[in-house]
Amino acid sequence: MTLKLKKFLTDFVEIMKEDFPQQLGGIVKDAQGITCLQTLDSERAVIQIRKGEIMITRGARKSEINARVVLSRNCLFKIIEGKLTLAEAFNTKEFDVIGDPLILLRCYDMWIRIISIARTSPRFSFLVYKLR
Amino acid sequence: MRIHSIKDTKHIDAFNIPSIFNNRLALYKEWHDFVFYDRKNRIFGLLNFGIHGNPYDIKRGYGSVLSFFVDPRGRILTESKLIPLGKLQISAYNPDFLGEDVAVTYLKDNSFRIRCNIDKISFNLSFPVIQPPVSSKEIGFEIMRVHKTINTGMIRAAKEMDKFWDKWVELPRLLSLGEITLDGTVFPINTRTGYHDHEGGRFDWGTLWGWDTGVILCDSSKAKEPESVRFLFYRYGPSDELSYGGITVEKKDGKKKFFGSENTQITRTGRFSGEQRTIPGVIRLLYPDYYPYIPERIVFSAVDGPDKLNIIFTPRAVCSVIPSSINGKMETELNEMFCSAKLSGSVGGKTYNKTIPCWFESTRPRGSVRNFDAEA
Repeated sequence: MTLKLKKFLTDFVEIMKEDFPQQLGGIVKDAQGITCLQTLDSERAVIQIRKGEIMITRGARKSEINARVVLSRNCLFKIIEGKLTLAEAFNTKEFDVIGDPLILLRCYDMWIRIISIARTSPRFSFLVYKLR
Repeated sequence: MRIHSIKDTKHIDAFNIPSIFNNRLALYKEWHDFVFYDRKNRIFGLLNFGIHGNPYDIKRGYGSVLSFFVDPRGRILTESKLIPLGKLQISAYNPDFLGEDVAVTYLKDNSFRIRCNIDKISFNLSFPVIQPPVSSKEIGFEIMRVHKTINTGMIRAAKEMDKFWDKWVELPRLLSLGEITLDGTVFPINTRTGYHDHEGGRFDWGTLWGWDTGVILCDSSKAKEPESVRFLFYRYGPSDELSYGGITVEKKDGKKKFFGSENTQITRTGRFSGEQRTIPGVIRLLYPDYYPYIPERIVFSAVDGPDKLNIIFTPRAVCSVIPSSINGKMETELNEMFCSAKLSGSVGGKTYNKTIPCWFESTRPRGSVRNFDAEA
């Protein structure tokens, strides 16, 4: 059964806490203040980083959300599998990001650091493929 | 001189699973490689079945399948998949590798049966073993027999290999029979040019060493081709000069000629601009501007007394596999190249002048070739 977005993000953070607590601490510190509304197909979840914690919630106040990422599953896996670059993905209409450019750059930096760590552990890979 | 017979394959090619009491368990890795080129159908294939990480830790150990095919039009098709340890079976008593959507089985008739189905690629192949396995010990004995003396390069390379590798076995010749399906198109496979190796050890993908190894996929039924040509140059330091290895040419009469590093000059020129893929795909996301350096041509020129050998490797299609060190700070690139190898020269009185397909694997720290390779 396909994993739901919120459950996926929650499990992802749990693995980070368990296997890479130090690295997660550094990422959270640098990503303070980001509240990202993540959409995957028709599902939504909010990634909120505040007070040294990363929280995954169903929603947040509109005024708190400072980044929005809209993505399809199809596009996500094409990016992960190297079939599309980020630049190419933006042209597919299946991927969009909205927000203040500086916040978006910090979001990008956060994800790249997370992905760099994630590729050293098979647990993340197995989790990601449950999303498909 | 042969130490093993074909029937030893089951034992020699079994997995060397370390004991739970061994050190460096988290760095354990071991894999089967199968390589072939079907000249009639013009299909190259490299199949890799591996286990990585602590085999007793279901959270951190895992299995993997990787396939790299080049179709008759020169297109690359690759697929890779990770297998949870809970769904993978390997054994210390046979070469079997059984996992989700993949089965490598060693049969009583001394053949491998491989079935696999990942996304757009599936294959059902049989690899009958037609030459006995060769272990690293045997390769070492052979080099010693030919050289009669030992030099520093040999000792340093052997010492470095011994430190990292628990197993290094090859099956010089297999038949490859069956069929593969690439993106919906079925291709029959029937070739005598199969090759297999099995390596295992406990090391991290974060060191400066590496190797250049490969096999010219000779068809032993062709009079103008040698029985086999294999090469391995093992780097024990960051520079190509800090390496030892050689080229072994086996003639039809079974006589072998070894050209060691001291008699071989290697040059790399140009930059490859053909078909290239990178695995895992996420590398493109992490390093959008990164393209592994692949030379346009690699030339081995060897002279030893009356024997002369010149091999010009021209890569046709490349798949770069980029494993990460356990701490994520360093990476290694394994550049798997399907090449054409123009072989010319004279060995033991037999003259060769022929272009033959070849598999060439060049392993280096990621992105470091320009810095470390004086000739590139």
